[in-house]
Amino acid sequence: MNLELPLDRMQRWFQALVVHPGTPDQGAASPEASRELETDQVGGVILPSRTLQPVERVGIYHGMYLLRMRDALLGDYPALEHFLGETNFKKLVRDYVQAHPSRSHTLNRLGDHLPEFIARHAGVPRREFCAELARLERALSEAFDAPERPPLSEAAIAAVPPEAWERARFETLPAFRLLALRYPANAYLQSVRDEDHDHHPKPRLKAEWVAVYRRDYAVYRLELTKPAHDLLADLARGERLGDAIAEALKRPARRRPAQDDLFRWFREWVGGGVFAAVRFD
Amino acid sequence: MSNRWGFADLGVGIGLRTVHYGEILGQKPEVDWFEVLSENYMDTGGRPLWILDQVAERYPVVLHGVSLGIGNTDPINLEHLTKLKALAERTRAHWVSDHLCWTGILGRNTHDLLPMPYTEEALRHTVSRVKQVQEFLERPLVLENPSSYVEFAASTLTEWDFLSALAEQADCGLLLDVNNVYVSSFNHGFDPHTYIDNVPADRVVQYHLAGHTHKGTHILDTHSDHALPAVWELYRRSLRRTGLVSTLYEWDEDVPELSVLVAEADKARPIRDAVAAELRATAEVAAG
Repeated sequence: MNLELPLDRMQRWFQALVVHPGTPDQGAASPEASRELETDQVGGVILPSRTLQPVERVGIYHGMYLLRMRDALLGDYPALEHFLGETNFKKLVRDYVQAHPSRSHTLNRLGDHLPEFIARHAGVPRREFCAELARLERALSEAFDAPERPPLSEAAIAAVPPEAWERARFETLPAFRLLALRYPANAYLQSVRDEDHDHHPKPRLKAEWVAVYRRDYAVYRLELTKPAHDLLADLARGERLGDAIAEALKRPARRRPAQDDLFRWFREWVGGGVFAAVRFD
Repeated sequence: MSNRWGFADLGVGIGLRTVHYGEILGQKPEVDWFEVLSENYMDTGGRPLWILDQVAERYPVVLHGVSLGIGNTDPINLEHLTKLKALAERTRAHWVSDHLCWTGILGRNTHDLLPMPYTEEALRHTVSRVKQVQEFLERPLVLENPSSYVEFAASTLTEWDFLSALAEQADCGLLLDVNNVYVSSFNHGFDPHTYIDNVPADRVVQYHLAGHTHKGTHILDTHSDHALPAVWELYRRSLRRTGLVSTLYEWDEDVPELSVLVAEADKARPIRDAVAAELRATAEVAAG
């Protein structure tokens, strides 16, 4: 018997089956699907083909759904996939999209919650390392897509009167991200990019500080020391340059920068394109 | 025959794909126009948009979307439409297209082109939404026939009748994907010639051509290969009805080198030339 479901009910049923993490038959029998259509009524809604039964036909969409989600997340998290391996990454994708399905018109936003999800998800091996690796890869994607804005030029810096520097406050570019990591995620990412498969860093506690920025539409990672990170974090928060340096110089000797360091870092940050603007109180 | 909006015949184009960015900007290949996947450029301020701006400076551009969800029963997403309209203006897009499908419900996007039942209810619903979208975009919407893998028992119209009625009632354009006609004709067991012969010719503003993957029990629309001769023959048959219409070759999986893609797209040129000659000869005979 042909069964015409109202359009919205048909869509709720169809989607429940397509996004179900199990098999198409399990999807058809799930509470979400069977609330809209009993499993013995499926043949009244979907016709069989010469070769496939109704649920098998819907199963074609079901099979493509997780592949599409995996491909999208693989694009943003290649090093994470490398660390976890194909099977574990596939399981992570399956669990993640159940908790955080796409609600955007673009798949570029699908992985926005993955780092936090991993941090809470007991099923991920070496969870803390993976969460930090995902944070780093997320930062790269954010920097890639951030709005374009010209960096502060060296000429603009050179035009600042020396006596004004103490009162300078910086604004970072939209593509700038600063990370303090407890695990060697950046070293791991680099080893994956270098295809250095014999020397991947172990996922053991070893702090890293990384600035992510974009220049001429290319995304870069800059490894920092802890003192450089702390100073840059203060500047990124909008603290006055004079106050941030004074704070840095008050730190214990092993974390205190030398004056040469300060000049070198500052040149690197301006040259790299970390800052968008400078203003003075 | 030309389309009723006077959209130009842009010639033979290809899709703008990331792997070809460098070659396209560096070598300026002889491609008549580019089709751009709208959603890939709506939420980025980075390199993709910078590339697109340069491509749009040098070539005609058409926007092609996958997330409009014209058949969705959730409310129309105005944020999406706002971004789409801005991108169309930025690129001076010749037209904006998407698919006859739904993409998700309850706020979700499956990012698939899910099949519509071809019922009177679905027709009324889709006509209403196309009109709203066109009003918002201030331009005709162009809708593509999808590949599909299921048929609904409740359908009272064929796909071509549904598409024709939709186009007439909503006054929208059609993007006729002849590979999708071929794929669905195999999956559902209809005659592709009947489909091609019954689409309203004056509403077709663009063609899609592509390869697919035969899985034995069904055909998947993978855009991963050269088009079959039977697909090229459908294209020729349809061109005789529509006249010369902008044509695009899609290749999205296992994307080959640009030269291979351009060579595949260029197979459309002799077909277009031959059909143009046939139509000229017919017109001369008719004129006495």
